[in-house]
Amino acid sequence: MTARPLPYGDPAHQAAHQFLVEEAALLDAADYSGWLDLLCEDIRYLMPVRVTTARGAGFDSLADMGHFDEDMYALRKRVQRLATDHAWTEDPPSRTRHFVTNVRTFRNEPGARAEFLVESAVLLFRSRGDTREADLVSAGRADLLRETGAGLRLARREITVDEAVLRTQNLAVFL
Amino acid sequence: MNFAGSQLEAVLADVRRGMIPAHVYGDPQIFALERDRLFARSWVFLAHESEIPDPGDYVVRRVLADSFIVARDESGAVRVMFNMCLHRGMQVCRAEMGNASHFRCPYHAWTYRNDGSLTGLPFHAEAYGGEDGFPREGQSLLPAPAMGIHNGLIFISLDPGAPPLPEYLGDFAFYLDFYTRQSPAGVELRGPQRWRVKANWKIGAENFAGDSYHTPHTHASVVDIGLFREPKASKRKEGALYVAGPGVGTTYKLPPGGDFASQLRYVGYPDAMIPAMAASWSAGQRALIADSGFMVSAATLFPNLSLVHNWPQIDERGTVAPFISLRQWQPVSERETEVLSWFAVDAAAPEAFKRDSYKAYLMCFGSSGMFEQDDVENWVSITEMAAGSMARRLRLNSRMGLTSAGQPIKPPLATFAGPGVAYQGFGEFNQRHWLRQWSDHLEDPR
Repeated sequence: MTARPLPYGDPAHQAAHQFLVEEAALLDAADYSGWLDLLCEDIRYLMPVRVTTARGAGFDSLADMGHFDEDMYALRKRVQRLATDHAWTEDPPSRTRHFVTNVRTFRNEPGARAEFLVESAVLLFRSRGDTREADLVSAGRADLLRETGAGLRLARREITVDEAVLRTQNLAVFL
Repeated sequence: MNFAGSQLEAVLADVRRGMIPAHVYGDPQIFALERDRLFARSWVFLAHESEIPDPGDYVVRRVLADSFIVARDESGAVRVMFNMCLHRGMQVCRAEMGNASHFRCPYHAWTYRNDGSLTGLPFHAEAYGGEDGFPREGQSLLPAPAMGIHNGLIFISLDPGAPPLPEYLGDFAFYLDFYTRQSPAGVELRGPQRWRVKANWKIGAENFAGDSYHTPHTHASVVDIGLFREPKASKRKEGALYVAGPGVGTTYKLPPGGDFASQLRYVGYPDAMIPAMAASWSAGQRALIADSGFMVSAATLFPNLSLVHNWPQIDERGTVAPFISLRQWQPVSERETEVLSWFAVDAAAPEAFKRDSYKAYLMCFGSSGMFEQDDVENWVSITEMAAGSMARRLRLNSRMGLTSAGQPIKPPLATFAGPGVAYQGFGEFNQRHWLRQWSDHLEDPR
């Protein structure tokens, strides 16, 4: 990203940062239907597979393979599933904490829509059961936040996970 | 303590009568035997040719702790080379994929062509006195002791005396075509997604092999939300289970009265793909769908390659899209497995189909898949329970489908068009077949 981020005192940056913190609170409270309300109907939610490549290779993620590549239908199905009585992998539920930091907000190219590009780092702590070792998932996120009549909404998220081999049993969680 | 002899004999005798000592799913001594007697000999899947289409393309894959470079050399041939420098043993290639004409060891710069031959050796004259001290000619990274390719699937065996791959695959090749040869163009693989689960590797292999019995309960949630094309997961009991050579698999019963094309349409294949499938598959393969009325679903090729084919609804309009996934259960230890999960699709399929099929895969299987999420929770739990003392006193009943006298509750299907033996309904025939192969390897001390 070549543009300079908005100053931290900029109301747009503060609104974007607060959006991410409020979103994390919903996820950690497992309020997934509340989380869906923060998404635009045309959302694209992506998490490419990271790979270990030579420095000169020119790529370190797979262009055609993700852990997630979701539209609103797919995300709704995931949330509906977690709400059933049969989503065993999250029953008993994980205890999660989304730590969101390093937030930088950029004004999007001038256009018809009021949109902001927001970069952040997220560290997910996930604990299952009483005796298992907890999992950590570290990732960067590049979000597109859109100003709507009802406030900011997430229009696109690309999650850049920091491991080539995930150390968590599944992604029955959102980042 | 050496775990062998009578102790091992007792374990294998129990396994062979379908009563599995529970500790085999969390026992380091069993794992050592699996490493030495099974993975040191069996054919193991490494990669697919579509992952390395051009000269110089490579991926790095493992058989347990052994790292191999799978490369396409400048002449277009597939090479599989042990990824350890001949000089001091450094891992020569530390990336997992890329394109390279040569691999240079970072330690002393010994350099190998992408066919494995040693081409660069710094200060050869000064350090070794040239060819006299170290003959460079003919030196290469150690090739895989045995290699074979079927439908683009690249397998190796660490046993140079392994039977040829076609002989090993035997009757299972018939079923492999449904997943990897839907047209003459063959299949293309994307991925893999890789993640590590705290589960014994055998559990996933057995589950995909034939556990149609878990679907109605483990996967109830995906039926609840209408992701599954079939309205009831209990439909699984109408499917056939087959045992064919080193492979075993499950099928779904298709609606009555359909023909070849209508059944493929039912599971979501577009008309544009069906003629190629008809041309690519044999009369017997077509008859499995058209006459027997079964569609392949999950399967496992011994030891640790599984395949899955399913057909969820991928949008609000109820569009049904089939997908194929290949996955490997790569053992890390007796209590940890790395899963490598690829999305596979016919290379000649229309782009719109590839897009829909990819979406179907991501929603259902792989690291985030809604089917797979609940599977792994079960497997981690089994592995935890298997590690203790009490698990040594428990034999898990794996005799489903058999009478007390060891006879099938129902006779095999008489009209099943595929090779091997098939049973309709629930049963653990496939898991027992997989475990018999496992037992045969573990008891062989050679």
